[in-house]
Amino acid sequence: MSKESPPDPAANFREMVTKWERGFDSLANQVMGTEGYSRSMNQMQDLQLGMQSMFKEFMTQNLTNANMPTRDDLVRLAESVGDLDRRMARIESLLEAMVPSNAAVGSGPRKGPPRTKKPPSAKAKGSKDGKK
Amino acid sequence: MSDASASQDGLRQRAQGMIERAIQRNIKGLEFITAPKPPVGLTPKDVIYERGTLRLYHYHAQSDEVYRVPVLLVMATTNKAFVFDLAPGQSMVEFLLQKGFDVFVIDWEAPTPEERGLTLEDYTQDFIPNCVRKVQQESGELDVSVIGYCMGGALSLIYAATHTEAPLKNLVCLTTPVDWHKMGLNNVWQDQRYFDVDRLVDTLGIIPADFVAQGFEMQRPAQKLAGQVRVWEQMWNDEYVKSYRVFDRWGNETLPLAGEYMRQTTKELIWDNKLFTSELVVGGKQVKLASITAPMLTVVAEHDHLVPYECSKPLLEMVGSTDKEEILLKGGHVSLIAGPNAVRRMWPRLDAWLGERSI
Repeated sequence: MSKESPPDPAANFREMVTKWERGFDSLANQVMGTEGYSRSMNQMQDLQLGMQSMFKEFMTQNLTNANMPTRDDLVRLAESVGDLDRRMARIESLLEAMVPSNAAVGSGPRKGPPRTKKPPSAKAKGSKDGKK
Repeated sequence: MSDASASQDGLRQRAQGMIERAIQRNIKGLEFITAPKPPVGLTPKDVIYERGTLRLYHYHAQSDEVYRVPVLLVMATTNKAFVFDLAPGQSMVEFLLQKGFDVFVIDWEAPTPEERGLTLEDYTQDFIPNCVRKVQQESGELDVSVIGYCMGGALSLIYAATHTEAPLKNLVCLTTPVDWHKMGLNNVWQDQRYFDVDRLVDTLGIIPADFVAQGFEMQRPAQKLAGQVRVWEQMWNDEYVKSYRVFDRWGNETLPLAGEYMRQTTKELIWDNKLFTSELVVGGKQVKLASITAPMLTVVAEHDHLVPYECSKPLLEMVGSTDKEEILLKGGHVSLIAGPNAVRRMWPRLDAWLGERSI
């Protein structure tokens, strides 16, 4: 006698959750897919950005008055370090580009297993040819 | 056995099952709440190149022999690449390694404030070409196959179209947007009459991860809550919980975006649809998808709400490749590449297509 798995009493609950999710998403997408929603959402965002901008100016002024570095000063410092890093990378790339890419080819893989794998279809064809 | 006693047995069994699961829910629920972030990206790898926001990984081989042509996966700039390597048994990278591919992945870290000026030029004329060169050096092979996911696919397309001499053996685009005017809700929210992208970028410099994540979540506002209810109900099921936790971690680790990159993609791709109309110019080169001649596979999901099918559909017709194929699969934007749906549907198809063209 085969042992049947116990019935899952939560199946209806799962189905209900799925239906609710689909219904809610569909309704929300209808509301949020309107021009009016887009306009008000973006107006709210502009308002937030305006306030953030004002606060940033206020903080910058205070830090400057206190003779302390502002966020922009620190970013500028990081930028110059980043510039050096990028310059080094460019030099490295140029040096690598001077070596023809074909130079790497033929020398075989630098590490790892041999690059000899064939797809199953090629193997099947090979064994068929072998039988002939 | 009489019908009445069989029915009583059935009821008893059902009640017992419910009680057992309720107990498990309480025990495991506590573990769930207190557990640290689940480990992800566990497949052994080396970081062979890193520069600012860019990381290039080379995964350790897991087969006795590998295909001649290495594979480079390009992740979307909005999320971490561990979606390709969620957990053992749920990892596309692990699957490809076991099938005999030599796998490299381009991953992104959050751009730093000094990287706010990164543009499409940096990604497609500098980062990707440099990584391709690194892959050539590391593998000792001239040819490279590129697989791009979502925006990573769009970057790969721009790279391929502007580097016609590139050693591109194959190009695979997974849910890649091409006709940006078919992006659904995104087109409404980023309507240029109301969305002031200049103000956003000029004020913030770097677009915060929360802003990016909100854009995704708002498209399916009930998804998160429904997911939490489902995981509570399935708390007794270790496999389900494990899978939920890694996906949840991935969803929560959305990346911030470089401001200039956001400005450029909004204006040139979303508003002016220049990738579709072939008017996009990157690094002084016109991006014509027709100039791509490498064998091309495009994989799209039937229920993708982020990149709807109509948005990716024109790609196959637009490229100049003669060997090209589209695979339309059931599933959504993420379930196409990770999770049980991907294991069953997408990965085997990708292996079959790419294997034939990797010798």
